[in-house]
Amino acid sequence: MEVRQVGKSFGSRSILKKVDLTVHSHEFICILGHSGCGKSTLLNMIAGYLLPDEGEITVDGEAVKGPSKSRGMVFQDHALFPWMTVLDNISFGPEVQKMPKAQAKETAKEFLKLVGLEPYASHYPGELSGGMKQRVGIARALASRPDILLMDEPFGALDVLTRETMRIELQKICSQLKPTILFVTHSISEAVYLADRVVVMKHGEIAEIFEVGIKHPRSSHSAGFGEMMSRIERVLMDEEHLELASAKVGS
Amino acid sequence: MNGAKWPTVKDAGSLASAETTVIGKQVRGKRPAASGTFFQKYNILPSLLFFVLWELFSRVNESAKFFNPNFLPAPTVLLSEGWELAKTGIITDSIISSTIRILLGFVIGSAVAVALGVVMSKFKAVERWFSPILNLVGPIPALALLPLFIIWFGIGEFPKVLLIAWTTFIPVLVYTLDGFKSVPSTLIRSALSLGATERQIFTRVMLPSAIPNFLVGAQVSLGLSFSALIVSEMMGAKSGLGYIIVDARNYFKITNMFVAIILIGLEYSLFSYLLKLVERRIMAWRKGGLRDAVEK
Repeated sequence: MEVRQVGKSFGSRSILKKVDLTVHSHEFICILGHSGCGKSTLLNMIAGYLLPDEGEITVDGEAVKGPSKSRGMVFQDHALFPWMTVLDNISFGPEVQKMPKAQAKETAKEFLKLVGLEPYASHYPGELSGGMKQRVGIARALASRPDILLMDEPFGALDVLTRETMRIELQKICSQLKPTILFVTHSISEAVYLADRVVVMKHGEIAEIFEVGIKHPRSSHSAGFGEMMSRIERVLMDEEHLELASAKVGS
Repeated sequence: MNGAKWPTVKDAGSLASAETTVIGKQVRGKRPAASGTFFQKYNILPSLLFFVLWELFSRVNESAKFFNPNFLPAPTVLLSEGWELAKTGIITDSIISSTIRILLGFVIGSAVAVALGVVMSKFKAVERWFSPILNLVGPIPALALLPLFIIWFGIGEFPKVLLIAWTTFIPVLVYTLDGFKSVPSTLIRSALSLGATERQIFTRVMLPSAIPNFLVGAQVSLGLSFSALIVSEMMGAKSGLGYIIVDARNYFKITNMFVAIILIGLEYSLFSYLLKLVERRIMAWRKGGLRDAVEK
């Protein structure tokens, strides 16, 4: 997937300026930045919800003209259908893609197993905890077999402990399925923990791209982990956002 | 959830009654007795008290004559008079014809409202043309239209059903439209990203998402359509609960009036209860409210 010279502005405010980014298949990329740096806008454009004002986004050589099942999305507020059971939520994707119902349910069960929520198949989302909801959200996005999985601060609304387990789970899922993932976050440690490459964005531009060469499974004690974090931190903090950033590092 | 709780409530009831018989007084202070749980389950004590007080007052009034006793007959008198009236078959006929009218009007009104709501939310142009007109005629009380309807369509069933349908139509349309408009955009986005077509989004996301709003609209309009029913039966009708009231007024049969009034109340309660049942069935997924906020 390629993002070429993409720009976007709302009214007179320009959110993104000439962003270039290439994502290879099976790559895990984290987009990191302060709130309002345009990272979510970029993700929404890749998903096809917004259209770029300048430049072009292509997937396998084809320009993105709108949302498609080839680019799955996981939302911060999980966006599960509250009137459907967990299983129906996950089988929604296969079903609307014309898979026979029984087969769709089987697929859904498979992915439910992947996220470890089989006992909750017939529960409604309202009965689950935040972390469980987000797991269902991930299973739902994966069940329609997207080429790229887009995740917009998926763990942003979770508490610190749940966040920790969720990123270990996500890491496990990734090593099993090897999907291509674009992951937006504002947590440096989360980015370093998960990503193959970390894209740091500032003021609508890509400030720097870091290759995280640390072997999986990573932990904060892995060699080079702390160093990578402080290198990213320096790029993020070298300006007026100093205070804001130091507050965010903690999360 | 409710299904799971049922047996425990029953068990508690039988348990309490068993203990009261054995231990007697000691328990009564701590636990609700069997009759207590019955009244907790069916909250009929207030209405029972209401009728008892009414009965007492009417009986006292018969001898004390605060005002003409005929103006407020006692409930027991109403029961026996109502039974006499029922024997003539008028009551069953009236209930049947009223029920048919309200059902027809309510269903037609809701169906048209939902259909128009669908079209209006789907095509901007339709909404642009329809909503100013609806804003113009919507606030007119439907009852003001009844004489006109009678002149236009005669005194048959059609103007009555039309009036009920019209009173149902406006609130249901307003609430349903609001429901379509307030579908969270992330739900639509996620459906799109899962490969749903526009049609699938409509049937599988927009419609179920608007159902709670539709039910609120139906609940609101039920009261309105009942008043439309009664008034339309008071003007140019040969049957129905509203007709009994007008007929009773003409012959000064106050007991018949009360019988009809009570029947109207009962029928409304029944319909409201049915709607609640439907709501509970469809909205099993919904949680919230005070009951879920704090456990007691």
